[in-house]
Amino acid sequence: MTAQLAGLAGLAADVHVERGAFQLDVSLEVPPGEIVAVLGPNGAGKTTLLRTLAGLLPLTAGRIALAGNVLDDPAERTFRDPADRQVGVVFQDYRLFPRMRVIDNVAFGPRSRGLDRGPARQLAHQWLDRLDIADLARRRPPQLSGGQAQRVALARALATEPGLLLLDEPLAALDARTRSVVQGELRGHLAAFDGPTLLVTHDPLEALLLADRIVVLESGAIVQQGSPHDIAARPATDYVATLVGVNLYAGVAADGRVELDDGGAIMIGDTTLAGRVLVAVRPSAITVYASRPDPGSARNLWPGRIEALAPLADRIRLNVSGTPSALVDVTAPAVAELRLARGRDVWLAAKATDVSAYPEPGGNSAASDAGAMRS
Amino acid sequence: MTRRRPVGGGVPLLLVPPAAIGAAFLLLPTIALLIRMPWSGLHGLYADSDVSSALILSLQTATAATVASLVFGVPLAWMLARLHFRGLGLVRAAITMPLVLPPVVGGVALFLALGRFGVVGRYLDQWFGFTLPFTKYGVVVAETFVAMPFLVITAEGAFRAADRGLEEAAATLGASRLSVFWRITLPGIGPSLVAGTVLCWARALGEFGATITFNGSLPGHTEVMPTLISRALENNLEQAEALSLVLIAIALVILTVLREQWLRPAVST
Repeated sequence: MTAQLAGLAGLAADVHVERGAFQLDVSLEVPPGEIVAVLGPNGAGKTTLLRTLAGLLPLTAGRIALAGNVLDDPAERTFRDPADRQVGVVFQDYRLFPRMRVIDNVAFGPRSRGLDRGPARQLAHQWLDRLDIADLARRRPPQLSGGQAQRVALARALATEPGLLLLDEPLAALDARTRSVVQGELRGHLAAFDGPTLLVTHDPLEALLLADRIVVLESGAIVQQGSPHDIAARPATDYVATLVGVNLYAGVAADGRVELDDGGAIMIGDTTLAGRVLVAVRPSAITVYASRPDPGSARNLWPGRIEALAPLADRIRLNVSGTPSALVDVTAPAVAELRLARGRDVWLAAKATDVSAYPEPGGNSAASDAGAMRS
Repeated sequence: MTRRRPVGGGVPLLLVPPAAIGAAFLLLPTIALLIRMPWSGLHGLYADSDVSSALILSLQTATAATVASLVFGVPLAWMLARLHFRGLGLVRAAITMPLVLPPVVGGVALFLALGRFGVVGRYLDQWFGFTLPFTKYGVVVAETFVAMPFLVITAEGAFRAADRGLEEAAATLGASRLSVFWRITLPGIGPSLVAGTVLCWARALGEFGATITFNGSLPGHTEVMPTLISRALENNLEQAEALSLVLIAIALVILTVLREQWLRPAVST
C-alpha cells in the first residue's frame, strides 16, 4: 500500500541496463523526503544507475517513473531527455561552468526553464543565501575551495526545484578535514529537501551518516538494503562486513554451535538457530592473549598469528590468521604490554554472547527475522 | 667546479649546422623583402587605385569567406566530432580534400561545379541569370573552399576534446540541446575557435590559385592582393613589394595573436 503511494509521489525505478558484459539490475522505490544511499565498490554500477535516472543513459529494459510520470520505458518507447526530467544532479566533480560566475551557475537552471535573467538571478541569490554562500556570488569556479564548490553545485541543482535529487559521491572530492564539516552541513541541506534523494557512494561512513536507508550494490545487483543500523549490525556479504569493519563468517548452525565453511567453529548464544547462518563478530569483541588462557564457559578460543597491525583512530587493528582468521581491535597499551608484533602467535577469545548470528539472507524474509540478533 | 650536463642532455653537434641553415632559409626571404622595400615611396604606392581596391576587396572577401566558414564549418565540425553516421569517412575526405589539393585544381573543380556550364552553375544561370565566376562572390566562394577546412579541423579537434561532463550538467539543469551547444559547448571551445577563425581568415586572404583560376584577376572587380602581386611582379615590382608588406604585417599580427597556441613547444599531442 505504502509502496504504491511511494510509486506515485516519489521515485519508482526498475532499472535494467546491459553494456557489453556488464549488467545492472536494480529495483528501487524512494518516497519523497527519504534519503537513500546506494553503497557499493567501484564497478558495481552505482554511477550507471544514477545516469539512467538522470536521463544520461537510456534503459535497456525496465521503467523509471517520478511522481507518476514515466521518464523512461523502452517497452513503451518513452524516453524523456535530461532537460525534461526535473532531476537535479550533483556530480562527483561538481561540473560547475568554469566561465560563469557562481551566481550565473546557479541561475543557469531557472534561466533554462524559461525564467528571465532578473528573476532567475533573484532566485539564485535566494538559494545562495539558503546555503550560506551568498558571499561567493561573484566568484568564478576556479576560485572556489572544494567545500565551496560542493555547496554551489548543490545550490545549482536545488535551484531548478527538482522532483528528484541525485548526488554522485558528494564528498569524495574533498580533503579529510573539509569532509567532516561538509558532511554535517550536507545532512541538514538534504533534510530540507522534500523530494526523494538518492546518493551513490563507495564510502560506508558517508552512507551511514547521510542516509535514511542504505542499498548495497555489488556487481550490478542489490545484495542488501536496510537502515544504517541494520546494515552495520547484520552485514549480508563479505563486502558489507569489510565496509562496516565486522568479521563475518558463513556456516551451519546447530545447538548453539556454528561449523564454519572455511574451517573452525564458533559458539553462539542462540541455541534455537539451525541451518545456514551468518556470524558477525565485532573486532572489539575479540580479546587477545599472549598465551593460552584458561577456557571460560561458553567461550570461543582459538590460536592465530598476527599478520599485520594498522593504527586506527584510537586503537590498533590486528589482522590475525587462523581458523577462522579475524580482525581484532586492541588498545595501544595492550600492544606494548603483550608485545604484539607481526608474526607473533597469539590466542583469540570471544564470548558467545558477543557474537551475533542470523540466518543467511537467501530471500527477503531473513533480514526481518527477529530473535537472531544479539547485541 | 665542473659544469654538469644532465644525462642524455648533450647536443649532437652535427645537428647544429643544418638546423641553423634551415632557420636562416626560412627567415631570409622576409628579411630581403624588408631590405628592398621602397619605404619612402610607400604612401604613393598605396594611393594607387589598383592597389587600394585590391586591398579593400581582399579584406572584404576574406572576411566574408571566414563568416561563411563559421556559419557552415562550425556545425560541420560538431557533426564530425560528435555524430557517428554512415558516410562519415566520405565527409571527412571531402573536408580534407581542399587541404591536400593544389589550389589551382580546386579552382578548376569549382569551375566545373559552379561555372556557367557547371554541374550546379548552369541552373544558377538558367533560373536566376546569375553567374558566379569572375565576380567578387566567386572570389568569396573560392576562398571559402580553400580556407574552411582549416577552421573545421581546428574546431573538430576542440569539440572532441571538450568536457562532455559540462554539457551533461547543463542538460540536467533543463537546457535544450541547442542551448547546451550555444551556451556551454561553443564558449568552451572559444580559444580554439578564435585560432581556427584567424587561421581561416589568413588562408582566405592569401589564397591565390583557386581564386585566379575561378575568377581571373580583373582590377577593381576580382583582383585581390595575391593576384595583384603576381601581376605587378612582371611590370611594377615596387607595387608587389608594397602589397607584400601588408600581408607580412598581417601575418605578424596573427602570429602575435596566436602565440599562445603555436609558438609554445607542444607539451603533449
